Amino acid sequence: MLGPATALIGFFILVPMVLTIWLSFHEWSSQTGFSAARFVGLRNFEDLFAPISVGRDFRRAFVNTAVYTGISVVVMLPLSVLLGLVVHQREVRGGQFLRTVLFATYMVPMIAVALVWSKLYSPSEGPINQILGWVGIGPQPWLSSPQTALYALIVLNIWQQIGYFTVLAVAGLTQIPSSLYEAARIDGANRVQSFFGVTLPLLRRTLLFSTVVAVINAVQVFEPVVLITQGGPAGSTNVLTYHIRRVGIERAQGGMGSAMAVALMLALIVAVVAIFAFNRKGEEQ
Amino acid sequence: MSFHRALPLSLLIGVSGATYAQAVEISYLTHWSPETVALLEGAADRYAQEHPDVSVSVRAVPFGDLLTTIRSQSGSSGPTISGIYDLWLPELVRDGLVDPAPQNATDEVRAAWPAGIAAASTVEGTVYGYPNEINVYALNYNKALFAEAGIENPPSNWDEFLAAAEALTDPGKGQQGFGLINSWNSGVVHPFASFLVSNGGALIADGAPALDTPQAGGVFGLYDQLASNGWSLPEMGTADANTTGPYLDNFVSGRTGMIVMANWWESALRGGMGDDFANIGTAPIPVGPSGEAPSSISYSWLTVVNASATDEEKAAAWDFLTWLNGEGTGEDGASAMADILMSMGILPSRTSDVEANAAALDRDFLAGYVSVLENAQAFPLVLGGQEFTDALQQIIESLEYGQISAEEAQETAQADAEVILERASR
Repeated sequence: MLGPATALIGFFILVPMVLTIWLSFHEWSSQTGFSAARFVGLRNFEDLFAPISVGRDFRRAFVNTAVYTGISVVVMLPLSVLLGLVVHQREVRGGQFLRTVLFATYMVPMIAVALVWSKLYSPSEGPINQILGWVGIGPQPWLSSPQTALYALIVLNIWQQIGYFTVLAVAGLTQIPSSLYEAARIDGANRVQSFFGVTLPLLRRTLLFSTVVAVINAVQVFEPVVLITQGGPAGSTNVLTYHIRRVGIERAQGGMGSAMAVALMLALIVAVVAIFAFNRKGEEQ
Repeated sequence: MSFHRALPLSLLIGVSGATYAQAVEISYLTHWSPETVALLEGAADRYAQEHPDVSVSVRAVPFGDLLTTIRSQSGSSGPTISGIYDLWLPELVRDGLVDPAPQNATDEVRAAWPAGIAAASTVEGTVYGYPNEINVYALNYNKALFAEAGIENPPSNWDEFLAAAEALTDPGKGQQGFGLINSWNSGVVHPFASFLVSNGGALIADGAPALDTPQAGGVFGLYDQLASNGWSLPEMGTADANTTGPYLDNFVSGRTGMIVMANWWESALRGGMGDDFANIGTAPIPVGPSGEAPSSISYSWLTVVNASATDEEKAAAWDFLTWLNGEGTGEDGASAMADILMSMGILPSRTSDVEANAAALDRDFLAGYVSVLENAQAFPLVLGGQEFTDALQQIIESLEYGQISAEEAQETAQADAEVILERASR
């Protein structure tokens, strides 16, 4: 049965990928048949790096996506381990309840999250600014300023995803034998030394998995941008998936959109390979 | 075949024939609000009473998703009829997504609509849809805030406009003089273009971008002055997916003294302001130093038919559109479409609809818009128009937020526009 299964997977995964790569070398309106595609060589890729609006917008979206991904992962993973340690301790009362609450954020539909958070961030009547006002901090523009809008979306992303990664961390923590902590304690290790000497090394595989998933999730950010900011203000939240949709579907520039998708795919492959290489190097050390 | 055997077969054929006649179902895609969709559904029901063989279903998506929906559902299973913004028409025609109008509809569009509006439904001499709404831009101002600031009349030129913006700005109250919108492409570009034509300029002249002219430079400079002096706060101008958001909130709550907006906002302003709507005045766009008379850009909407629909669906769709936009299908000799548009404060474009609604169009808010119709210049309909709009939006927003100077904005806008139009024409 392996043959048909492999053929099916190959058809549904490889064919669209190959087609996207093929289209990236063509000028093609996504509203016409593939036969209407006109070969243009590397021109689409050259345009992505040219000093014209299509290239400028792509590069801006690329940087925005990288910043969104980098900060999300760097903040979310340590936080998930920290929260995992808290809820994993059996002696902590309410740990199970806290775990459920944390995971609940992951299950809330994005449309509801978008509605609530856009109100939370409201400059005039938003609760966040009201709370800041109580401690003497003036109203912040949040989603209305190019300086803060992307970071406001990152906070939203961390809030929504942290529960999922905490559950992963807890799953990893349960795999660590308690005898190792006992041995460390007998050797005179304190809690911090146990964490760095036992917990963290044995969480390596869990963290590797979490990192890869978190990177892929963050790179594919789309819904909060569509629902809350539409890429603005001043392009500050224009991320690659949203930009590719705008170019490939709204403007029907299927060839250019495919070139952007290929560039995104290559960047993602490089990032994931770098994560694995970094992990292997750590294991060797 | 005996009679008693033939009878059931005859009945079956008859029933199936009737079923086929009943089975012409057409769908209508729009971005209108639920209240307006209900009016359209009411009109469709009236049409169905006269045409029991056709049923019309209406589907609405937010404005921000309309073009994507039209493009992604353009096959035979997509909506039979779509309401579209005229800027999208050239590319939809290029991609073969819309059906040319039949001869009777073509003749009617050419005869019953002003030539400029009929032209916006036409690509290379072929009519592709029934025009319905037309929108122009005007200055909306808060009379109460004007009175507080001691300003008697709305500004008629840029000097008065800047003076009013300064006088209306009060950082202590969180109040800005003039509201600049952002995060919505046409919402950003249309007011800019209206200032430009009121300064004697144009976005595109003779098929080429004209953003390098002194007139355009004047508008970039005007925006720069508003933003750099704090008379416009871009943080107060964010729009959301439904084109409202803080920009609308700040105007309806009296924290913005003036905005430049299209007539279709009347229903949103009424809904948001209640009795305070009486405070809103409308005036022509202030004339720039290089301009001679107040002007505005205009844009229209039209209804088109899916080129991939079946012949029966196309025929039913065109017949329904002919009825919907036809004289006398609405109140007092207007079309049913005109009644729907007027409910939103939108100007109908059919000549007979304007005449039938003359009294309603004379009310305070709309009269300010009707007065600029004569001098309005149509937003340029060119291949690449959507990308051109997106690019200009980014530059204007960068200028508003102080990320680039007026000179840089003008230079970049012209360079971008040249490349976009050249690429689109390949």
